[in-house]
Amino acid sequence: MSAIITLSLLAVLLLYLGLFKAKKALLPVSLLGLLAAIVLYSIQWDTDAEPLYSGMVLFDHFAVAFSILSLFITGLVFLLSRDYFDSISEHVAEYYALIIFSLTGALLVVSFHNLAMLFIGIEIMSVALYILVGIRKRDFSSNEAALKYFLMGAFSTGFLLFGITLIYGATGSFDLTEIKNYLIANPHSISPLFYSGILLLIIGLSFKVGAAPFHFWTPDVYEGAPILITTFMSTVVKTAAFAGFLRLFLTCFVPLQDFWAPVLLVITVLTLFIGNISALAQQSFKRMLAYSSISHAGYMLFGILSIGAASAGAIFVYSAAYSIASVVAFAVLILVKRSRGSEHFEAFNGLAAKNPYLAFTLSVAMLSLAGIPLTAGFVGKFMMFSGVLANYHIVLLLLAVLNAAMGIYYYFRVIVAMYFRPADREEVTVNANYKAVLFIGALLTIAIGIFPSLLAGWL
Amino acid sequence: MSVFYFVAFLSIFFALMTIFTKNAVHSVLYLVITFFTFTIHYILLNAQFLAVVNFIVYMGAIMVLFLFVLMLLNLNKDTEPLKSNLIKIIGVIAGLCLVVTIAGSLKLLETSNPVVLKDPGIGLVSNLGKVLFSEFLLPFEISSILLLTAMVGAVLLAKNETKKI
Amino acid sequence: METVVTNLQGVPINHYILFCSIIFAIGVIGVLIRRNVIVIMMSVELMLNSVNLLLAAFSAYKGDASGQVFVFFVMALAAAEVAVGLAIIVMVYRNTRSVDINALSRLKW
Repeated sequence: MSAIITLSLLAVLLLYLGLFKAKKALLPVSLLGLLAAIVLYSIQWDTDAEPLYSGMVLFDHFAVAFSILSLFITGLVFLLSRDYFDSISEHVAEYYALIIFSLTGALLVVSFHNLAMLFIGIEIMSVALYILVGIRKRDFSSNEAALKYFLMGAFSTGFLLFGITLIYGATGSFDLTEIKNYLIANPHSISPLFYSGILLLIIGLSFKVGAAPFHFWTPDVYEGAPILITTFMSTVVKTAAFAGFLRLFLTCFVPLQDFWAPVLLVITVLTLFIGNISALAQQSFKRMLAYSSISHAGYMLFGILSIGAASAGAIFVYSAAYSIASVVAFAVLILVKRSRGSEHFEAFNGLAAKNPYLAFTLSVAMLSLAGIPLTAGFVGKFMMFSGVLANYHIVLLLLAVLNAAMGIYYYFRVIVAMYFRPADREEVTVNANYKAVLFIGALLTIAIGIFPSLLAGWL
Repeated sequence: MSVFYFVAFLSIFFALMTIFTKNAVHSVLYLVITFFTFTIHYILLNAQFLAVVNFIVYMGAIMVLFLFVLMLLNLNKDTEPLKSNLIKIIGVIAGLCLVVTIAGSLKLLETSNPVVLKDPGIGLVSNLGKVLFSEFLLPFEISSILLLTAMVGAVLLAKNETKKI
Repeated sequence: METVVTNLQGVPINHYILFCSIIFAIGVIGVLIRRNVIVIMMSVELMLNSVNLLLAAFSAYKGDASGQVFVFFVMALAAAEVAVGLAIIVMVYRNTRSVDINALSRLKW
């Protein structure tokens, strides 16, 4: 809890720094704040987890692990923000503060123990993002993305709330333990309201994580938003939303698996195919990453589908691998766009000759996203698929492998463009922060790929 | 008992008017009336505090904000072309499916007990205050972050920037 | 107040659920068929309001105050969301002079 308070205060402090025009201090102060929050969470690791504040939040290993992951990825995103926000407008402090607010929401989502906290956490996370997506005020596509994201977000909130209400109507409580006790106490006489409630919750949460058929806002929003915000959205927010999704289902709804598993199965398969097939056709690297994030949502849904003791660990490793690789990919995209002004695959032509370091790190990230062995992405996919295999969904596994093969094709397009398509271009200048992020990202991706126990032992 | 059905009929009628009126300003006014009927529903449930808050927050603050923006942007002409008929029909069908699903699940509910106030004082300020500031204290405090975020964001977005980007 | 409360006695909880789902569905239909962004936002408000009423009804039915407390949080969210949403609309309007969602060319539904 102290970490969440620290972050809220940090955001307010950043707003004050902005007021006093202390622009230089913003980045170091926010990084220090994030570091403090990580330390505060790590201290909590060994203590016994009990629901706090009348059962509102529970900081168990699951919550702490996902919180630290979110904080770490946000730190990487902040490192990339040097010089980035300055080019948009002079209200830089507000951007930092809003990202921190959004992160606070994400931390609440991963540690909720009451549906009220889930709801408020998701809303803090999304309201801050509606604004961040639209910060390029004069840019038409950014405006459009903000409007679209806002409308879809508000719409899906309605479904989420209706689901929560029906579950309250069936059980008489918002507390996860009470809901679970209700299910255990009446295994044969569960109120029909509960079933409708679960369906509506699945719809609402699928909107939030961007799973098909509720994914249609994702590509436009990811493409229209400023790249750095897209990075934040597709890593931290997605991870947190999945963690919340999993936590809800893992704690409460496991006894009803026979009811919701078919629904989720359809959503998963649709998500995988729509994400991958659309990604094949893209010409813009950014839009390709948007569709690939949809397909990764599909893979992560496997973890919820084959729910069990191992699924928390699988989703954790998968989202860590995916987030780190995405940050690297988006970081290179920012640099390339800055020098070439284009987000298309052609902009990457010949990058390897001039910037071997950039090309190498991007290749590592792409290999990890594609799930090639010796990278973190492979470990994530492996854990996810073995969970599916344990539940005997052989057909599902075949579909997933087919999709993974499709993924390899479009991820390799970038690598081919960088190494084998010559083009005359100037060297892209890379500042120290970007170098550091790329180094950390590539190092972690390979390290986790070679020593999976680094992360897999956490949960 | 009949009061409920009468007010429910009014709510549904005005809600339909809200979404099917072409003029946006008329829509807002119908929505205000819908919210007023909701206030009556809260009074029928003896949820007095919610009735007052609904009156002040929804009918007062939120609706005035809507009207204000409509007037500010001068959108009170009924120029809005509606979507094509196909999309309309699909939309209506999707909505009706939702009702049918939920109504269907209700049919399974073997008994339909009438709402009887077990504790008539439940919706009074003193009782709600006790629950809000004991059990729900943390969400209450956290929702301040939500409001602060919205405040910062609304100012940030709506402010006209002087510096050309 | 006694008469009001006796008025209530006898309305089955199912009718409350049915009534609220009808209002919710009207909100959903409104979002799907209208093109004016402000009307879409109003339809979302309609959805949130039906949820509020249902929470209050369940809370009275169960004799548990937490449902009515939850309504506060929904109202706080509604206020925050409307503020941000209208700010976004004002920003978009400055650039496009329109609140028609189809005027935003690439917006595909």
